[in-house]
Amino acid sequence: MNDHAHDSHDHHHEESFVRKYIFSLDHKMIGKQFLIFGLIMFMVGGGLALLFRWQLAWPDRPVPIIGVSQTYLEEGEVATAADRKWEERFDDDKETWLETNMPSGVIDPAFYNSLFTMHATIMVFFVVVPLLVGAFGNFLIPLMIGTRDMAFPVLNMLSFWSNMLGAVIMMAGFFVPGGHAGAGWTGYAPLSSVVDLSGVNWGQNLWCISLIVMGISSLMGSINYITTIINMRAPGMTWFRLPLAIWALFIVAILLLLAFPVVASALALILFDRMAGTSFFLATGGGDPLLWQHLFWFFAHPEVYILILPGMGMASEMLPVFARKPIFGYKSMVFAMIAIAFLSWIVWGHHMFQSGMNPALGLSFMTTTMLIAVPSAIKTFNWLGTLHRASIRFTVPMLHSLAFVSMFVIGGLSGIFMANAPVDIYIHDTYFIVAHIHYVVFGGSVFAIFGGIFYWFPKMYGRHMNATLGKVHFWISFLAFNGVFFPMHILGVGGHMRRIANPMQYEFLQQMQPISAQPINVFITICAFILGAAQFLLLINVFWSIFRGKVAEQNPWQANTLEWHAPTPVPHGNFGAIPQVHHGPYEYSVPGADKDWTPQTEPNGESPHGEPVPAGATAD
Amino acid sequence: MKWLNFPAWLPENVSTFGQGVDNLFILIYWITAIVFLAVMAVLVVFIIKYRFQEGRNAEYIEGSTTLEIVWTAATTVIVFGLAMLSLPQWNKIKFPSQFPGNPGAVVQVNGKQFNWDMTYPGPDGEWGTDDDLQLENQLHVPVNEVVHIRLTADDVIHSFFVPQLRLKQDALPGRFINMWFEATKPGTYEIPCAELCGFGHSGMLGYLTVHTEEDYAAWISERWGE
Amino acid sequence: MMVFTFRVFSSILMNELDHTSSEPVEGDNRPLSNARLAVLVLVAAEIMFFAGLIGTFLVFRLGSVTWPPPAQADVRLPIGVTGLNTIVLLLSGYTMLQGLRAIRHDRHKELKNWLCVTGILGVIFLAVQGSEWVRLVHHGFTLSSGVYGSVFYVLIGCHALHVLIAVLWLLAVFVRAIAGRFSMNHYVGVEVCAIYWAFVVVLWPLLYVLVYLI
Ligand code: HEA
Ligand code: HEA
Ligand code: CUA
Ligand SMILES: [Cu+2]
Repeated sequence: MNDHAHDSHDHHHEESFVRKYIFSLDHKMIGKQFLIFGLIMFMVGGGLALLFRWQLAWPDRPVPIIGVSQTYLEEGEVATAADRKWEERFDDDKETWLETNMPSGVIDPAFYNSLFTMHATIMVFFVVVPLLVGAFGNFLIPLMIGTRDMAFPVLNMLSFWSNMLGAVIMMAGFFVPGGHAGAGWTGYAPLSSVVDLSGVNWGQNLWCISLIVMGISSLMGSINYITTIINMRAPGMTWFRLPLAIWALFIVAILLLLAFPVVASALALILFDRMAGTSFFLATGGGDPLLWQHLFWFFAHPEVYILILPGMGMASEMLPVFARKPIFGYKSMVFAMIAIAFLSWIVWGHHMFQSGMNPALGLSFMTTTMLIAVPSAIKTFNWLGTLHRASIRFTVPMLHSLAFVSMFVIGGLSGIFMANAPVDIYIHDTYFIVAHIHYVVFGGSVFAIFGGIFYWFPKMYGRHMNATLGKVHFWISFLAFNGVFFPMHILGVGGHMRRIANPMQYEFLQQMQPISAQPINVFITICAFILGAAQFLLLINVFWSIFRGKVAEQNPWQANTLEWHAPTPVPHGNFGAIPQVHHGPYEYSVPGADKDWTPQTEPNGESPHGEPVPAGATAD
Repeated sequence: MKWLNFPAWLPENVSTFGQGVDNLFILIYWITAIVFLAVMAVLVVFIIKYRFQEGRNAEYIEGSTTLEIVWTAATTVIVFGLAMLSLPQWNKIKFPSQFPGNPGAVVQVNGKQFNWDMTYPGPDGEWGTDDDLQLENQLHVPVNEVVHIRLTADDVIHSFFVPQLRLKQDALPGRFINMWFEATKPGTYEIPCAELCGFGHSGMLGYLTVHTEEDYAAWISERWGE
Repeated sequence: MMVFTFRVFSSILMNELDHTSSEPVEGDNRPLSNARLAVLVLVAAEIMFFAGLIGTFLVFRLGSVTWPPPAQADVRLPIGVTGLNTIVLLLSGYTMLQGLRAIRHDRHKELKNWLCVTGILGVIFLAVQGSEWVRLVHHGFTLSSGVYGSVFYVLIGCHALHVLIAVLWLLAVFVRAIAGRFSMNHYVGVEVCAIYWAFVVVLWPLLYVLVYLI
């Protein structure tokens, strides 16, 4: 065991394939592992979404390719190869997986429930968190604070592999008898806690177990991040010289650390209810169904800010670089993030306005929730301020950052409707919420992820991604994204409930004024397919550029932060000598300087703000 | 551009408190629309005006405390104002102590997988007696009269939702939740279930029939005689 | 949790105790070493885990008119024995502290003795808890006897599991102590274990008061 620790500091040692690419202890490799893992899971989660989007647009029509043809349905005549296959399936006595979940290729309502449940679970826990916190957190923290690796490299590796284990357990759920968990990503009890009420047996158990494993993985990650950021900053890297991305990751690590154990305890209680005969969430046994909601949202509200804060941090890195200007109001950006994190603990009840909890609580939750608009406003206006009198370069990362800002504003503003308890009476559990979710997590987090991949790719792989392909991917994604999710606001206002497999069962949705919900759903689905197809461009760009991209120089964007000070490709141990930091990360276009950027490692003599720091000064 | 005016998509409102909800919705709609358009306008102007041009450099501006204070204060005022405005509306709809009295009908609604059971207490006004009337998925109420509902569920959580009434309330197993409404227009409205409750959630559907005064009297006498 | 704690533990040991080869630049001015900080952070997470369970307990406790609920009215929790057991656990906290003090003054033999005593006290605590559980189960009071039984066993059981982890951790430290791995300049391994031990000890009186007394 001891040898491992030495290896990570040994620059000349040749490593075996397994040590280097699989059980790697190097934070950069672990970050890349998270990146590839997250991208693959993004395909899975998105694929599930496309599957149920089909059902929403054309309810009860067989899915193309897999399902039977229209002629077969109407006339019983075998017309395609799929029809023949289905004839065979119906004839033999075995009930296959496909027959249970998609008889004739039509998505069964119970399977529909599993589909959106797993879509959301995968997207939240196996895509956005692993990408933002796992990939960028691992890659950026040691590089940006100027140290050689994480505080606990082994813990770091275990964090990735337990994450993988969680994913395997989660995916296994699709293939157990009874089907996968179908109680929504929120897993409301007693639907989720009593086997007989949903008919789902091991699917829900595995869902719980997988999330507990994920919790352990995040716990290991956050212990590492917190320790590393507190203890291992390079000399001169004071708290207020930290890049905002690091601040964001630090705050997120604290949120993860404190939030996940709560849901772990709640998940354990669900497991006890399901498997040991307790009745924590069952009224007939003296339990309380609202208890689950309180515990879940106490975790899940901080969780949604876990999904957005790193995105905010990364956008705050990219905007100044491509605006060639300091970030506007650095300290207020930091305090705004701290305020968001703090407030996130006392607003969970806004998911429960209509749940039957005491309406008097609704009032306080409404006020605290709306207060989150204040730090969010600070952030938004500071991003705008950063663009004021700038010199903007429209690179691919910049486009994504600008999309992040504008889409986050839409998502945030729709949050204000829902935060308003009386209005939420009407729009709760409608597509208005679904629109909100996706504007913040896709428009926000995922665009930040896309931008971040483009921005840090040269440091990760030593090569550039293709900018033209990147722009094409950006514009198709951006337009299709709005095509998918903007009309959902309209559906929501029309009263379209979420989590329903067949909207056409409802008269008021068919008669929705001025346009029926049906054509809107078709439009959404078509845009969703375009959005999905566009992601292939990203995938191709990533994998092609890893091997064939234009070779990148050390500091291609002319940025200030320490990761660009490290050689490309970054060796083991990151830096030749640990750098000395002289000032904050956003000293762009300093008057009188010879170039328009001033790396954190360079003292900026004449600048009015960069008082020279004596060499060897220490972190505070 | 009618489709951008979200409030136009709201279904017709047929309850006395619905207008209050709609007004709040419209108010927030205009506030957020203006904020959004302002932010986008500034963004677009900035990215056009301050795009990279040969010979012009970015300016070194680190921030502005005055501006910071201005937008913090402005947002705080707006959101607190909104909270204060919505307070009475919320109380009116959800606080049992503020429900209007003299109900023209009292019904127990019971959600179960995957139906709504409506139980009328009958002339004696008590549940659990012989003259109770139980209907499946049919709720009949008089127009322009207050209706009190006792909401509960048998198995899992369901949610009683009537879009045209602007009313939604989760039904919890083992608990009775009181709510009220007053419909202003006769007709039949759907009662979808709005909380995921299992494979039959989609399609769990009841009907609310709002009768005119005479119709309702006739309906009552048909069930219980005079 | 158990597997996890072991992993943290081994990783910390590996990194911190055999860390001498790494450069000193980064860490000179740290008020807390990495290992100490990490264990404190871990304890914070554990506190939130128990906060979830205690919250659950309080929801039921405050939500019911009589406690125990009527169906379990005849259950008598062993207040007296557990009270004594509480003292045993508190005592083990004291002995752990003595062990830490010993190694700070480079008294190796004393360290080993104190660790041994601490471990034995921990095992006694677990044994008494276990036997009381067996007795309760024999009386028909089980995990599925309503929420009263459920919260009792889950809350107390989770604590017992944590004591077990702490005992195993202590055992590992004890083995290292015998092998002479600690000295007055190098006792982080003892200290992080002591922090965790302190957590399970301090948590207990709170649970005792909540679950047994009120
Ligand atoms: C990244 C994730 C993310 C983020 C950042 C947010 C941010 C916010 N969310 Fe969202 N939310 C989710 C993810 C997220 N949410 C998810 C996944 C759900 C659904 C869960 C489920 O049921 O499945 C949900 C559900 C949800 C609900 C429950 C709805 C319901 O079920 O009935 C509510 C209610 O209050 C809410 C409110 C808010 C608010 C007020 C914010 C605020 O933080 C937004 C603040 C931002 C702004 C306001 C914009 C910028 C500010 C300005 C431009 C200044 C000017 C503004 C004013 C003057 C108002 N969210
Ligand atoms: C990070 C979070 C995240 C992301 C990125 C997404 C992305 C998408 N989501 Fe999701 N969604 C949620 C989080 C997310 N969602 C949550 C939390 C819920 C609530 C669930 C609940 O109610 O419990 C939800 C619910 C939800 C619903 C409501 C379901 C319902 O209530 O009935 C819908 C409906 O359209 C939807 C659609 C989509 C679509 C079309 C995308 C698209 O943007 C996806 C685009 C990406 C791809 C398509 C990937 C590319 C794939 C390929 C290139 C491969 C193609 C492969 C095959 C065809 C096999 N989502
Ligand atoms: Cu009942 Cu959904
Ligand atoms: Cu929330």
